[in-house]
Amino acid sequence: MDAKTQKYDRQLRLWGSGGQQALESAHILLINASAVGCEILKNLVLPGIGQFTVVDQGTVTQSDIGSNFFLDADSLGKSRAERAAELLGELNEDVSGHWVAKDILSLLTENPSFLSQFSMVIASDITRQTAEKVSSLCWTNLNAIPFVWVKTVGLLGTARVILPEHVIVETHPDNVADIRIDSPFPELSNYAKSFDFNTQDTLEFGHIPYVAILLKYMDEWKQEHDGKIPGTYAEKNQLKANIRSGMRSGDDENFDEAINSVLRSCQPTVVPNAIKAIFSDPKCETLTAESSSFWILARAVRDFVNDHGKSGGLLPLSGTIPDMKAQTDSYVTLQSIYKTKAKKDVQEVSNLVYIILESLGLAPGSIASEEIETFCKYSAFLKVIRYRSLEEEYTLPKTKQIASWLSEEDSAFAQYVLLRASDSFFDDHGRYPGEGNDWEEDVDHLHANVATLLQSWGIDTEVISKDQTHEICRFGKGAIHNIASFMGGVASQEVIKLITHQYIPMDNTFIFDGARSVTAVFAV
Amino acid sequence: MVDAQTITDNERWAGIYKLLDRNSLIHPEFEPQEEIKEFIQSCKILVIGAGGLGCEILKNLALSGFCDIHVIDMDTIDVSNLNRQFLFRRADVGKPKAVTAAAFINKRVQGVTVTPHYCKIQDKDEDFYSEFALVICGLDSIEARRWMNATLVGMRDEDNPDSLKPLIDGGTEGFKGQARVILPGITSCYECSMDMLSKPTGFPLCTIANTPRLPEHCIEWAHILEWPNKHGERKMDTDDPKDIQWLYETALARAKQYNIQGVTYSLTQGVVKNIIPAIAATNAIIAASCCNEALKIATTCAKNLNNYMMYSGNDSVYTYTFEHQRKDDCPVCSTSATKLDFKGDKTLEELMDYLKEKPDVQLKKPSFAVGGKPLYMQAPKQLEEAMRPNLQKSLSELFSSGDELTITDSTLPFSLQVIVTFV
Repeated sequence: MDAKTQKYDRQLRLWGSGGQQALESAHILLINASAVGCEILKNLVLPGIGQFTVVDQGTVTQSDIGSNFFLDADSLGKSRAERAAELLGELNEDVSGHWVAKDILSLLTENPSFLSQFSMVIASDITRQTAEKVSSLCWTNLNAIPFVWVKTVGLLGTARVILPEHVIVETHPDNVADIRIDSPFPELSNYAKSFDFNTQDTLEFGHIPYVAILLKYMDEWKQEHDGKIPGTYAEKNQLKANIRSGMRSGDDENFDEAINSVLRSCQPTVVPNAIKAIFSDPKCETLTAESSSFWILARAVRDFVNDHGKSGGLLPLSGTIPDMKAQTDSYVTLQSIYKTKAKKDVQEVSNLVYIILESLGLAPGSIASEEIETFCKYSAFLKVIRYRSLEEEYTLPKTKQIASWLSEEDSAFAQYVLLRASDSFFDDHGRYPGEGNDWEEDVDHLHANVATLLQSWGIDTEVISKDQTHEICRFGKGAIHNIASFMGGVASQEVIKLITHQYIPMDNTFIFDGARSVTAVFAV
Repeated sequence: MVDAQTITDNERWAGIYKLLDRNSLIHPEFEPQEEIKEFIQSCKILVIGAGGLGCEILKNLALSGFCDIHVIDMDTIDVSNLNRQFLFRRADVGKPKAVTAAAFINKRVQGVTVTPHYCKIQDKDEDFYSEFALVICGLDSIEARRWMNATLVGMRDEDNPDSLKPLIDGGTEGFKGQARVILPGITSCYECSMDMLSKPTGFPLCTIANTPRLPEHCIEWAHILEWPNKHGERKMDTDDPKDIQWLYETALARAKQYNIQGVTYSLTQGVVKNIIPAIAATNAIIAASCCNEALKIATTCAKNLNNYMMYSGNDSVYTYTFEHQRKDDCPVCSTSATKLDFKGDKTLEELMDYLKEKPDVQLKKPSFAVGGKPLYMQAPKQLEEAMRPNLQKSLSELFSSGDELTITDSTLPFSLQVIVTFV
């Protein structure tokens, strides 16, 4: 094993070489080397992102070194960007770090397309005004750039993910087994029928795979019930009883496995609604030469599903089956029957992919065969997330939803409201609530900002108490390392999901209340 | 080089001091006092483990203002640690984790002293543990956690407030983790929640020997059956790449024989070393959560977690915070005996095997006594040999239904009191 594989072994087991390659091709921008910003970068440099750039015009102060591990006593008075980049760079010799000691808005004025070189933008400790500007540039970039905006205020932390669309094939569901007891394909039925249920050999009987057992009893049931599978709870119990009656000894594990799988197997294999929604999405309906491989593949699978002769109206077979009590050769044969059918489905889908590519004027090799194979394997678990922009969040509030969130007891959404109000306070006063020594004087002002916001949503201003407002002023926009580190973990993990296109990122605002030790996610 | 004295605490800890200097209407019971700041600076705090969680915990505690931190870890640094144990560099591979971690923190953060202990937690006694105000665990083994938990619970004396050592425990695996606060004798303890643990995956021996189907079966065959066959007394070293290579090739050959796909070097390593995937992000979240609780407990600036937070990050970001209840018959933190129904005609050995497997008991090498009279002792050797025949005797031959058994195990600093009723 080479040195890099050894080093990254523990993470490769989560996202494989494909995910690692995506990370190593990434160039991440961090705006502001605050405590939380550096904690986020730490968790990205360690797993080996390709490059990072830190943009920060500040010089290191004492309160910086009290909350930020990547600034030390030697850094006092020096460029925050430079020192943070240096100390973060030390974490991983395979990562290239850069820094610019400038304010982001000046940089963008000098060079409006500064952001285009980055695959991800992360910002902390920026004003709402700056966030709106950066967010808009990221959103409208030729290839939209995901933007993650993070804040910590005393014991509170929040992270917002902003990008137009994120697609995921490798969602890593708990169970990819696709057994099709309710709708067996011909090769499967035939193989199941080849087992001798009358055999006197107890070893042989005890090793009949549960799939064959289920298929036999399901087949008998269908014959007695007009071709239908058990629907009601009573019917499913009856099927279980039927199988139980076929047991010879109380210890027949294979029969137990069959009985335990009845409920799952009686759920008809269908195209999930979420996948149907993807199929009817305009981006699946209308393809162009600029369409991403995700949408081209979705269309190919849709066409496959619609061709009942080839697909039986179902998604491509995943080809995965669970382990089960069986002799080696029967299991291996059964497994290869599923794998062969899965391969056949992939071949059909591939042909459809080539037809589509040709119609778009694209080369047949534009989409690699591994990509087609993976797409087919996970076709039941695909996910498309469409995020709301900051502009939509601010100008088109989901007032009904917000009222519902706030009506819950001890709602964490109250913190969202308080943090939004704090941004308004900043617009009014040029500083955050509680920053100065006369912190309690800010309570009334901040509470007025809270009331304005709630009123704009048509919500009773009583839902947020003055005590809660008082607590935000108590925090005084203080940077506390533990909170920065917690948010650093959460935000970096979402960034990794976005870059690797594996696992499912949150949609779209995460709140951590370190006082009550609770978290919540809101799609604002 | 800046003179350490020109760094003032008021500026450095500005964020935290806002919490400590200002009153709260949400937590009206909190009283700002200078003594709290002095306490953080002077108290001794113990970190167990200097690995994935430990490195994060040390950093977090140092940047919370704690000045006297101790860390115990018996391991040395491995290349596969470098993707998340950020206090270590490639040049440190082979060195003790505790020592290297302590040196890094001491250099990076002014005014903190981290004292390393390169040893097992079992090498330290109650006198050692009683010096600390708080213990934070970043361990990777159930056995070590049980030992630490039982030791701290055992130390607690209701009449002596100083003997109460809050134990904050964190654990991670891939994108999942949990953080909990244990107040010995007050809240549920680690032993109370043993039944929450999932059964460790093991494959039946007959599958491994006769009907392999998965690549894992082939690997376990090479590991458990073929290795002793070919290497006799010599134990396998799972850290030696040569031994893993042998296992991989042997497993692959068997797989080829049975037409089984999927044996890789990586899977081989994963199975025999029981490798758990790990990344920096999850460790950061759980460690930060633990240290956030530590700061709240040490300062009372807000209410601490009561008492368990579970975290999952593979699908969105999700936490579940709840109060885990104490178990009435917890062998560690309660005084009442556990009740067990068992067939009187089963042998003592069968009872022993049952207790080894049971998730909330999980004993390794139990010894049994009833009413002060030993039934079977694992040590010393002569006693074990003399008592071995008892293993084959039925329970009803050895004691009466309703008797209370005292069960001990060398890995655990407590005894299990079990009232056995014959059914």
